[in-house]
Amino acid sequence: MSIDILIPLLAAAVQSGTPILYATLGEIFTERSGILNLGVEGIMIIGALTGFLVAKATGNPYVAFVAAGLAGSCAGSIHGLVCLVFQGNQVVSGLALTILGVGVANYLGTPYVGLIAPGFDPLPIPVLAEIPVIGAIFFSQDLLVYLTYLIPVLMWIFLYNTRFGLSLRAAGEYPAAATAAGLNVVGYRWLGVLVGGFFMGLGGAYLSLAYTHLWTNNLTGGRGWIAVALVIFAFWRPSRAVFGAYLFGGIMALQLRLQASGTQIPSSLLLMLPYGLTVAVLVFSSWLRGKTDEPGALGTNILPAE
Amino acid sequence: MAEAPVIKLEKISKSFGEVRANHDISLDIHEGRILALLGENGAGKSTLMSLLAGQSLPDSGTIYFNGRPVSFSSTEKAIEAGIGMVYQHFKLVEAMTVAENIFLGRSDKTWLSRKALNRSVAEVADQYTMQVDADMVVADLSMGEKQQVEILKLLFRQSNILIFDEPTAVLTPHEANNLFETMKQMKKDGKAIVFISHKLEEVMSIADDIAILKRGEIVGVMEAGSVSSTRELAEMMVGREVLLEVDHHPMEPRQQVLKVAGLQEEGLKDLNFEIRQGEIVGIVGVAGNGQKPLVESVCGLKRVDVGVITLLGRDSRDFFSSRSWDKALSYIPEDRQGLATCQGLDLLDNFLLTTRQGFQVGPWLPVNEARQKLEYLIEEFDIRPPNANLLAWQLSGGNLQKMVLSREFYRKPRLIVAEQPTQGLDIAAAEDVWNLLLKAREQAGILMITGDLSEALELSDRIGVMYDGHLVNMFSRDNEEMIEAIPQMMAGLA
Repeated sequence: MSIDILIPLLAAAVQSGTPILYATLGEIFTERSGILNLGVEGIMIIGALTGFLVAKATGNPYVAFVAAGLAGSCAGSIHGLVCLVFQGNQVVSGLALTILGVGVANYLGTPYVGLIAPGFDPLPIPVLAEIPVIGAIFFSQDLLVYLTYLIPVLMWIFLYNTRFGLSLRAAGEYPAAATAAGLNVVGYRWLGVLVGGFFMGLGGAYLSLAYTHLWTNNLTGGRGWIAVALVIFAFWRPSRAVFGAYLFGGIMALQLRLQASGTQIPSSLLLMLPYGLTVAVLVFSSWLRGKTDEPGALGTNILPAE
Repeated sequence: MAEAPVIKLEKISKSFGEVRANHDISLDIHEGRILALLGENGAGKSTLMSLLAGQSLPDSGTIYFNGRPVSFSSTEKAIEAGIGMVYQHFKLVEAMTVAENIFLGRSDKTWLSRKALNRSVAEVADQYTMQVDADMVVADLSMGEKQQVEILKLLFRQSNILIFDEPTAVLTPHEANNLFETMKQMKKDGKAIVFISHKLEEVMSIADDIAILKRGEIVGVMEAGSVSSTRELAEMMVGREVLLEVDHHPMEPRQQVLKVAGLQEEGLKDLNFEIRQGEIVGIVGVAGNGQKPLVESVCGLKRVDVGVITLLGRDSRDFFSSRSWDKALSYIPEDRQGLATCQGLDLLDNFLLTTRQGFQVGPWLPVNEARQKLEYLIEEFDIRPPNANLLAWQLSGGNLQKMVLSREFYRKPRLIVAEQPTQGLDIAAAEDVWNLLLKAREQAGILMITGDLSEALELSDRIGVMYDGHLVNMFSRDNEEMIEAIPQMMAGLA
C-alpha cells in the first residue's frame, strides 16, 4: 500500500476513532467510580440528536456541542437515579437506557432525517499541519479532534494527581475503605456518572456535528458498545483508550474504503469487522486479567447504612 | 499504674438473643501500656472490641474516656476519641499505593504530589521501625506490610488508643517481631495499646497487663510480670469447668473409617492417627495450630500431596472421585452460615444440598417425597420453628445447626467430621447437639475439632492435642494424668 493511500486512511482512522474515544473516556471515568454504565450507546445518540437540533436552531456549533454534553449528563443521571438512589441493577439499568435512548432519538429525529446542520470543518493548525505525514494525519483535523488530544491528559492528571481523583478511584475500588476514610462515596459516584455521561454526549455530537453534519436514524451504529469493550481493552487507563479508539477507527475507515474499492468480499462481512475485533480484544484482555486496572467494586451498589 | 486509665470499662454487658457475649466486664486501658486480651474463639473478644469501636452499644454498663462517661454510638465518635482499630481483615484499597491509601480522605490539598506524600509516609514509618515502601501498590504487599499500612493510617489519624485484633494471626514470625518492635515504640510514645490474642507466648513477651476472657466474662486480670508461665494462662483460658453432662457410655470400636498417615501439608507436620466406627476423637488445641488444614485435607477440600489419607478403606483420591451420598463422609463445618447452608434458600433446598442423590430419579427430583422426609426430621430433631419453607437465615444458630446435623445424619455417614459443633449455641442447644453426636457414634467414627476443652472431655473417647501443626499426643478419656497435662501441651510445653 503506497503512502498516498496510507496517509488519508490514517487520517480517517483518527477521525472515525474520535467519537469512540470521547465515549470510551466517559465510560472510563464512570467505571472508575464503580458504576458500570451500559447505556453508552443510548447516551451517545441522545447527545448526537441534541447537538444536531441545537446547531440547527442556533446556528452555533459550539453551543450545540456543549448542549450535547449536558444532554449526555442528563441521560446519565437516569442511570444514576436507578443505581445510586434506588440501588437498582446496574447492568439492567444500562441496557434499558440504551434501548430508551436509541428509541427516543430515532422517534424525535425522524422529521430531520437527511437534513443538514452547521458543524465543525477541518481546521489545519498552522505550522504543525506542515509536518510531513504526522501533520496530515493529526493536525489537519477539526477542532473537536484536537480537543481529544488534551482530554486524556487532563483526565489522567485528575485521576492520579488530585485528591478528588484519588477519592473517585477509591469509591470504585473499595467503597468500604473510602467510607471509612470519611468520603462521600455516593457523591463521587454521581460525579462519575454525570461527567462520564457528558463525554459520552460529546462523542455522539461529534458524529452529527463533525463526522456527518447531518442527522440519520441509528447514527451511532453500535459505537457505544465498542466503547464499552474498549474500556476493558484500555485497562481503564485514559492513555490506552487513545490507541484502542484509533485502532477501531482504523478498522472502520479501512472497511469503508474496501467497500468503495469494489472488493470481492461481501460487504456484510466487512461491516462485521469492527465487532469481530471487539470480540478479539475482549478475549485478549481477559487473557491478561490481573494486570488490568479494573475497579474492584465495579458494578456493585452501595447499600445504605443500616 | 498510678495514672488514671484513658479508657475505663465498668460492668459492661452485651447479649445477642440468649447468648451472653459479654457479661459484667470491667477493664482499664492505660496510656503507655500494652494490655493483652486473652481468650479462646467465641470468648467475647470481638464483641468487646466492637463496643469500643462504636459499632454497637452495650446493653448495660458504662465506658469512661478520660474519666468522663461516653457513649460510642457511632464509629466516628470512637475515632474522635482517638480509638483506632487494626482488624484482621484490612480495609485497604488494593489497587492503590501505600501513600494513596494513607492519605485517602485525609488531605485537603487539591493537587497531590506523589513525592511529598511518599516522603511524609516514609518519615513516620521510619520513626516506628516499619519497612514499607510508600510507593508500592498495596496488592503487591505481604500481609505484614499491609498491616503496617493500616497502622500508619491510624498514626496519621492521631489515634492514641490502638486496638489490634489478633494481629499476628496473618504474620510470619519475622513480621510478628517487627510488629512487636513497632508496638513497643508506640508504647514509648505514650499510646495505649490493646492486643487481642490467643497465642500465649506472644502475650507473655509483649504485654504489660493481661486480662483473660472466658465465656464472656473476665476471669482474671494480672500484670504480666506476676505470671510465672504460659501454663498458668492456658489453664485460666480453657479451664475445665463442666457446665452440663451427658451420658457417655463406652462402646466397642469396630472397623477403621479414617486413617491419616504421614500427612504433611502447609501448617501440618507429619500427622498419624486413625478413627474407628463407634468412637469420637476430639482434637483440641488453640485455634490456628493446624486444625483447619487437617479438616480440609480429610474432607477433600484440599489436595493431599504428602502422606496418605484412607477413608473407609479407600485412598482419599479414589474415595472422592467416586463417592456415594450415603454411608460415607459427612462434614459439619464450623461456618454453618457459609459452608453448610445457603442462607437464601429454604430448608427443603438446603436439605437437598447434600441428600439429593437419595431422591433423584433420572433428571427429576421428587420434591414432595423429600419434603415428607424433611418434615419427619424436623419433628424428630425438634427444629424450631417447624416449617420447611423457612429460609436458612431465618433460623437461630442452634436450630440451623440441628438442621445441618439432621441432614448429615440422614445420610447415615460412617465418618463424621464436626468442627466446633456447639460454638455460639446456648446451653440447651449445645446439649441437644452433644446427644445427637453421641447417638451418631453408634454408626460412625467422629472426628471432632473443638476449642472447648470441656466439650472434648465430655464427648470424646480419645483426645488429641494439636500444637504448631503437630499432634502432640493422643490418649484415652480415662487417662487422667494426660488430661491434667492438656493445657501444657496446648501451650507447646510438653
